[in-house]
Amino acid sequence: MLEKTGVPTQSEIESVFPSDERLSKGPVAVIECFQSIPCDPCATACPRGAILPFADINDRPVIDNDKCNGCILCMTKCPGLAIMVVDITWSQDRALIKMPYEFRPLPDVGQTVQALDREGTVVAEAEVIRVQYNKSMNKVPIVSIAVDKQLVKTIRNIRTICDTPTTATHTAIQEEAQDTGIVCRCNDLQLAEIRALIAKGYTTIAELKQMARLGMGPCQGRNCLPVVVNELSRALGVPVAELPVGSFRPMVKSIYLGDLAGYEEQGEN
Amino acid sequence: MVKTADIVIVGGGISGVSIGYFLLKYGAKNVVIIERDFLASGATGRCGAGIRQQWGSPLNCIMSKFSCEFFETAVDELGFDGDIEFHQGGYMMLVTTEKELAQTKKNVALQNSLGIGTKLITPSEAKALAGPLNTEGLLAATFHDRDGHLNPFTTTRAFADAFVRLGGKVYTNTSITGIRTSNGKITGVDTNRGSIATNTVVNAAGGYVQNIADMVGIELPLYSKRHNILVTEPVERVLGPMLMSFSLNFYCQQTPHGSFLMGRTCPDQPRDLRITADSRFPVAMAKTIVKVLPQLKNLRMLRQWAGLYNMSPDNHPIYDQVPGLEGFYLSAGYSGHGFMMSPATGQSMAELILGLPATLPWGQLGFSRFTEGNTIHEPSVV
Ligand SMILES: Cc1cc2nc3c(=O)[nH]c(=O)nc-3n(C[C@H](O)[C@H](O)[C@H](O)COP(=O)(O)OP(=O)(O)OC[C@H]3O[C@@H](n4cnc5c(N)ncnc54)[C@H](O)[C@@H]3O)c2cc1C
Ligand code: SF4
Ligand code: SF4
Repeated sequence: MLEKTGVPTQSEIESVFPSDERLSKGPVAVIECFQSIPCDPCATACPRGAILPFADINDRPVIDNDKCNGCILCMTKCPGLAIMVVDITWSQDRALIKMPYEFRPLPDVGQTVQALDREGTVVAEAEVIRVQYNKSMNKVPIVSIAVDKQLVKTIRNIRTICDTPTTATHTAIQEEAQDTGIVCRCNDLQLAEIRALIAKGYTTIAELKQMARLGMGPCQGRNCLPVVVNELSRALGVPVAELPVGSFRPMVKSIYLGDLAGYEEQGEN
Repeated sequence: MVKTADIVIVGGGISGVSIGYFLLKYGAKNVVIIERDFLASGATGRCGAGIRQQWGSPLNCIMSKFSCEFFETAVDELGFDGDIEFHQGGYMMLVTTEKELAQTKKNVALQNSLGIGTKLITPSEAKALAGPLNTEGLLAATFHDRDGHLNPFTTTRAFADAFVRLGGKVYTNTSITGIRTSNGKITGVDTNRGSIATNTVVNAAGGYVQNIADMVGIELPLYSKRHNILVTEPVERVLGPMLMSFSLNFYCQQTPHGSFLMGRTCPDQPRDLRITADSRFPVAMAKTIVKVLPQLKNLRMLRQWAGLYNMSPDNHPIYDQVPGLEGFYLSAGYSGHGFMMSPATGQSMAELILGLPATLPWGQLGFSRFTEGNTIHEPSVV
C-alpha cells in the first residue's frame, strides 16, 4: 500500500500512534516514518532522549512515548516532514495538531482552512491556532490547528485555499518566511519570484505559467496552484472564485513514452 | 480605453505583436493591439516555436532567413530584459525515401544559392550531431546549424514590451465584437469594452481570422485545423538539434529547460476551431518517436494540448489589404509556420500598410495570386 500509493494503511498508522492512555496525558509526537532509509536527525534532535539512539542509520525511529513531552524540536529537524505532535487534551471537544508546513503563504492565525487526510481528501475544516517560525526552526514552519477530536488519527495536512481575499496582515517574520518559501517545488519557484511577476502585470495563472513554468512540472500544478491562486486573490483583492481559471492539465499519472508506444490506437477526439 | 487609433491590430499572438512593433519602428503612431484573452493565448503559446530556413520555395527561404537573423539579435533590438531562449542547435531533417532525397537535394541547392548554409549529410554524420538518433532506415539528412527554437512566451513578451515602450497600447481581455464600415471603408471597431474609431484594422487573429472577417461579410480562402503536441518531463540535454522528417511525419526538440516537445500531423483533425486534445495522438506520437530516439521510451509524457494551424491554399501566408474593404488588412494563413516567420510578417505588413518600399518579397503574397494563378509551391511543410 505505502509503496504503491504513498499512503499508509490504518494498521500502519495504528502501529506508530501512541496508546489512548498516553494520548490522554497530553501532547506527544507521532512519527510516521515507515521505511528504512539512511536518515537519523530525529534521534539526535530530542533533548529528552525520547527517540531512541539508532544502531544503524537505516533504522526506523523508535520513540519512548512516556519520555516525550511534545516539544516539537524533532519536527523541525525531520527532512521528511514525518513527525507531528498531537494533543487531545487541548480542549473539551477539539484536539490540537501541530504539523510541519512548508507551503506558502503560511496561514493566518484564526483562519479557517481545509483539513486533509493522508490521501489529500478534504475531510473537515480546521482553525489555525498558531503559526511558529523562527531562525532556529531549520526553515520548517510549524502550524497548529484545532480539529474535531474524533479525527485526530485521520487529519494529516491542511490546504489554505480561501474563497475571500485574505486581508489579515502578516507579521514581519511571517512576511520573510513567505518570500523565501518555495511555492512550486517542481520548478523551484519562490513566492518572491511569483510576487515580482504579479507586480509586473502577469496577473493570471496562465501568464504566470508561461513566464515561470508555474504548474508545468511533474505535479502539473496540484501543489502550487492553490497557493498561487490565493496569492493572486490577495494581490488583486479579488475573490478566488472570480479569478479566471487557466487551463489545468494534470495527468492522473505520467506515462512512459515506451508504454504509450505499446498501446493500440483507440478512442477518439 | 482609447477612443481613436490610427491602426487597430486584432490579436495579441506573435503576428500581432510583431506587426505592432515594426509599425511603430517605421514611424506609425497611435497603434493599439486588441487581444481577446492574454498575449500568446492562441497558437503562439501552443506552438513548437521551431525556427528553420530549410524550405523548398525561394520565398519561404528569404522570409525565414530574414526572420532567423532578426531573432539572433532580437534581445538587443527589442531591448528585452528577459531571455527569448533562442537555442541555435540546428535543425536536422531526416530523409528516409528516395523521392524525399531527390526533393531534398533540390531544396539544399536552392537554400545554398540564397545564402543558407544547409548541408546534406550521411546517416553517420547525423548520428555524430544527434547522439540518441537511431539511423536505421535513414538515407541521409540535412543540417543547418543556425536553425533552432525559441521560447514563444518570452519572445511574444519581448515584442510586446518594445511595442509598449515605443508608445503602443495593448488591451488584453478585450474582444473585437464588430467592425464599422462606411462606403467600403473601415471607420471603427467595437469591443466588449467600448468602441475605437479607426480607418485601419489589421486582422491578425490567427486561427480566428475568419470570425473577424465574418463581421464584415468577407470570406477568406483560409481554414483552421487542429494540430496536437505533447511534452515530457525535463532531463539533462542529450539532443542538440531539432529533428524533423516529412516521411516519418514528426518534429521533436529538447527545450533549454530539458523537456522534449514533439508533434506530428494526425489524420481527421477537426476544422471547427476545436482545440480539445486528441487521445489518439500521444500513442501515434510515442510509436514514432521511440523508433527515431529509442532512449525516449524511458521518458514520461507530462501533458498534451492542441492549437490551430491557419491553412492557406498554397501553404504560404497572405499579407495584403482585403479586396473590397479599404483599410482592412490581413496577415494570416501561415500554414503551421507563422511563429518562425513573425519578424518577416511584421516587416512586410509595416511596409505594406505604411507604403514603404518593399525590402521583402511580400508583393507575391497578396490575394491576387489565387485569382491570377500565381500560387507558390512549397514542397516542404508538415
Ligand atoms: C501545435 C503547434 C505547433 C506549432 N509549431 C510551430 C513551429 O514549430 N514553428 C512555427 O513557426 N510555427 C509553429 N506553429 C504555428 C504557429 O503557432 C502559428 O503560425 C503562429 O503562432 C500564429 O501566430 P498568430 O499571432 O498569427 O496567431 P495566434 O497566436 O493564434 O494569435 C491570434 C490571437 O488573436 C486573438 N483573437 C481571436 N479572436 C479575437 C477577437 N475577436 N478579438 C481579439 N482578439 C482575438 C486570439 O486570442 C489569439 O491570441 C505551430 C502551431 C501549433 C498549433
Ligand atoms: S516532540 Fe520533543 S520530546 Fe517528543 S520526541 Fe520530539 S523532540 Fe523529543
Ligand atoms: S528524521 Fe524523519 S525521516 Fe529521518 S528517520 Fe527521523 S522521522 Fe524518519
